[in-house]
Amino acid sequence: MADSNPETQKIAGVDPKLLEILVCPVTKETLVYDEAAQELISKAARLAYPIRDGIPIMLPEEARTLTDTE
Amino acid sequence: MTAHASPPPSEKDSHFGDQSVSAEDKAPMVRRVFESVAGRYDLMNDLMSGGLHRLWKNAMVDVLAPRPDMKILDVAGGTGDIAFRIFERLERAGLPMPPGQITICDINAAMLEVGRSRAAQKFGARAAALNWMNGNAENLPFPDRSFDAYTIAFGIRNVTHMDRALTEATRVLKPGGRFLCLEFSPAVLPGLNKLYDAYSLSVVPQLGAWVTGDGDAYRYLVESIRRFPNRDTFKARIEAAGFSQVSIRSFSGGIVTLHSAWRI
Repeated sequence: MADSNPETQKIAGVDPKLLEILVCPVTKETLVYDEAAQELISKAARLAYPIRDGIPIMLPEEARTLTDTE
Repeated sequence: MTAHASPPPSEKDSHFGDQSVSAEDKAPMVRRVFESVAGRYDLMNDLMSGGLHRLWKNAMVDVLAPRPDMKILDVAGGTGDIAFRIFERLERAGLPMPPGQITICDINAAMLEVGRSRAAQKFGARAAALNWMNGNAENLPFPDRSFDAYTIAFGIRNVTHMDRALTEATRVLKPGGRFLCLEFSPAVLPGLNKLYDAYSLSVVPQLGAWVTGDGDAYRYLVESIRRFPNRDTFKARIEAAGFSQVSIRSFSGGIVTLHSAWRI
C-alpha cells in the first residue's frame, strides 16, 4: 500500500505510483523495480538506475551497467 | 575543463557563462554550480531580484491556472519553488491536489534534497502530491503524452542542448498540453541597460559570494543570461520544436520573459 508520509517513504523506498509514470530516459521503455537493490532496471538499455533516499536517479551516467548474467 | 579561447560555436559547443565549453563539459559544470548554492538558492533569488522573482513566478502560475486534475511536470525546479506555489494556490482555493499530481524533475540531486525536505516540513503528509526525481530535461524519464502542463522557470538556459529539451517537452505533453517557460532575457529596455549590466555583473556575483560562498557560480548565472537568445529567437525555437500558438509576455522592463505555448 502506498504510504503518503514522505518521511516513511524515504525509508521504505520509492512510491509505487511513481514507478508507473517512469520510463527509461534512453529507450523510453518501462522499467522493472528491484526493491531489494533499490534499482530501476532498463533491460533494453542494459542499465540499472539507482534510487537514493527514495529519489529515482534517472541519469544514464549515474546508472549501473547490467552484467551479462543479469 | 575544456574551454575554447573563442567561438565559432559548432553543434558540439555549448556555453558556460561567457566561456565556450564543449557540450559534454557543460552539464557537470552547471551541476557543480547548483550543488554549491542549493541550500541558499531561493534566498539568493529574493536578494538578487529584490523579491521580484516571486511576482514573475506567481504570474506564471496565474497563466497556468492549475486545477487539481492536472498532471504537471516542473523541470529544473529542484528546490520546489514553482511546485509549492502551484500546490499552495490550489490549497488556498480549497482544491487540494491528489497524490503524485506534480512531478519535479531536476538534474541536480542536491537541489531536490532541499526541495523534498522543505516540502515535508511545510506540508507533512500532504507533500505526497509532489513527486521528486533526478533527470535530464534533454532525456526525460516519462512516457509520451503523460502531462497536462510543463513548466520551467529559470532553468532552460542551463540546459546543454536547449532544442532537445524543447522537443522532449512536446513529447511528454498530452495534446492540448501547456508549455510555460520563464527565463531572463538578454536585452532589457534601452535606458536600463547600463544599470542592469552594472548590477548583474558586479553586484550579483558579490552578493552570491557573501550569501552562498560561491561568487563564481553567480558569475556563471549572470553570464549565461547574456548568452540566452532574445525573446523572438527563443519563440522561433519553441515553434521549431513543434509547439503552436507561442505567446510572449515581458516583465520588469524586459528583464524576464514568459513564453507560453500549446502542444496541439
